[in-house]
Amino acid sequence: MRKFLIHWEKIQRTMVLALRSLWLHKLRAFLSVLGIIIGTAAVISLMAFGEGSMRDALDAIKRQGATNIIVRSVKPPEEGGGSGRKNMTANYGITRADWEFLEKINYAEAIVPMRIFQQEIRRMQFMKIGRVVATTEDYQKVNKFELAMGRFLSGSDEVDEETEDDNIQMRNVAVIGSEIAEKLFPFQNPLSQTIVINRFHFVVVGVIKERMPTGAGGGSSSAEDFNSDVYIPMRTGRGRWGDRVYIRLSGSRSSEQVYLHQVTLKIDDMDHVKSTGNAIAYALKATHGYKQDWALTIPLDRLIEAEETRDRFTRLLVLIASISLVVGGIGIMNIMLATVTERTREIGIRRALGAKRADIILQFLIEATVQTMIGGLLGVLLGLSFVFAVPVAASWFGHNLPININYWSIVLSLVVSVVVGVAFGLYPAVRAAELDPIEALRHE
Amino acid sequence: MPAIVRTDYLTKTYFLEAVTVHALRSVSLEVEQGDFVALMGPSGSGKSTLLNLLGCLDRPTSGRYFLGAEDVSEMEDDQLSEIRSKYLGFIFQSYNLLQQYTVVENIQVPLLYQNARIDERATERCQRLAQLVGLGNRLDHRPMQLSGGQQQRVAIARALVNDPHVILADEPTGNLDSKTSDEIMHMLTRLNDAGKTIIMVTHENDIASWARRVIRMRDGEIETDTRNDTRTNLEASSTAFMENLNMLFSSK
Repeated sequence: MRKFLIHWEKIQRTMVLALRSLWLHKLRAFLSVLGIIIGTAAVISLMAFGEGSMRDALDAIKRQGATNIIVRSVKPPEEGGGSGRKNMTANYGITRADWEFLEKINYAEAIVPMRIFQQEIRRMQFMKIGRVVATTEDYQKVNKFELAMGRFLSGSDEVDEETEDDNIQMRNVAVIGSEIAEKLFPFQNPLSQTIVINRFHFVVVGVIKERMPTGAGGGSSSAEDFNSDVYIPMRTGRGRWGDRVYIRLSGSRSSEQVYLHQVTLKIDDMDHVKSTGNAIAYALKATHGYKQDWALTIPLDRLIEAEETRDRFTRLLVLIASISLVVGGIGIMNIMLATVTERTREIGIRRALGAKRADIILQFLIEATVQTMIGGLLGVLLGLSFVFAVPVAASWFGHNLPININYWSIVLSLVVSVVVGVAFGLYPAVRAAELDPIEALRHE
Repeated sequence: MPAIVRTDYLTKTYFLEAVTVHALRSVSLEVEQGDFVALMGPSGSGKSTLLNLLGCLDRPTSGRYFLGAEDVSEMEDDQLSEIRSKYLGFIFQSYNLLQQYTVVENIQVPLLYQNARIDERATERCQRLAQLVGLGNRLDHRPMQLSGGQQQRVAIARALVNDPHVILADEPTGNLDSKTSDEIMHMLTRLNDAGKTIIMVTHENDIASWARRVIRMRDGEIETDTRNDTRTNLEASSTAFMENLNMLFSSK
């Protein structure tokens, strides 16, 4: 214990001495650790910005639901070569048989069918083009959103004429997105008001709060904007429009026959997502053959992919960091070697007065380490001020820079700068200790 | 008086590329405790080599060197460092103070390398040593702010701080004018009177005349070894100084 105390005191004294001799050569010390400062600052800020945008992407994927499986109908590319006019009605996508198959999946907690078509949504003189989504109450289970007012489509499992189920009653009710509400009801409460979709009148029963679009991360799905959506009960949609839908958009007219545009399955457990996804893909491949009119999206896959990307990014950063810290370390080594030459006489004096080689090594190592540690600290401060200042500056120009400070990276970069100090201080320190005391004393 | 320093056939040979230099040829020497020896001789006579060997800064090619009871001629580097820090005090021609340290801190340096804690008592002892050499009002000055004589006095205080068996002085007055030289020699003589063993290299007869014993060297061998009967005497009484010094170390 006593021995430990003596060593500790020795180290403390040497640290104080190191600080003092650094203070004596402020500019030189600063320049020599500049590499470390810039390296550390770069790592901290890059890490924060990178992690921030990566987390944004991950959050977008997570909003799609990590336990969800999404089956989409995809309009296949036009077939055949110029055999005159084609059938005007496009018939593709998820079929009734597919739906019946999907319904039987055990692991699905909720299964949500969706029919989607672009329509003009009108109220008096107001008009907005939006997505009309015919779906069931379960839609609320697989998508995360909040209602600004009213309720979502309701339902119960009982088939009863007296039930409140919008679907069974085939009620003309609609839940509208925030943008539709804004556009169609600029001054009014939309609840219980009527909107017109393709000749039919619907009563607004709910308004959804503004939703973040889901990420466009993968290739198969583009970013979805939910705010111009109108949700109506599935059976209402089928009853009013039938299977064939005529889409009227600003004069042009087309029709398509699609049983369901999208089915979203919520799987009960993350572990079952992969196998269920594979089973669905296998089944659809079997029934659809070569017809590429469906697509399967598994957000979990993209989540894993995105996380792998993040890990790759982190590894790259670590590589950059180690390069810049090695460069910084060489700067330290250079200056320490110069210092050793400059202080040869001091080394000789200390040796004559009883310093062992180990004492000299300790002294120079501590000096190098104190230097790199201060460099690391300054770097962290510089990096953090970047991280806090740049998003503010970016917001003046209308950019949104997400940040996520990884406190672990701060600790790590400080530890690394100490390690760099020891690693690159060692050789100069050993050189200093190897000096012959008599020669060193004679050194001018 | 027992011999505090004893060398038996101490030899130092430097093997350079082209030539072999016999810096010291089998020197046998005894120095009694409390003696004051002046080593003289022209340059290349081996006096500096001998001082380095006596100061445990170097190891002999052959021969033995006993410092007190210990045979130091075969010791490892670390052990020699320990011997230096425990038993030896150094005074150099160019003072060799550490520029970034204050007076008190310079005096403390040898203590840094003894495995002892520097407590308040040690700091106080350093301050009293500074007072003893007449620098009581300059404790926080740095070497740059001191004259040559003052710096050498700091060096003397530093050489005393570990209560050494032997003080080795390498031309302690070489950089000083005659008046300051006198002051320094006064101080060394007082230390010697207080019982400190001093071995001093010099090439000035004036300075050597302060010593009790003068050894002249030539070509790595001892040429003459004489008792100095015409020793320069202290002008003033030094009893107060001696008492102070003895008190400092008896309280240790």
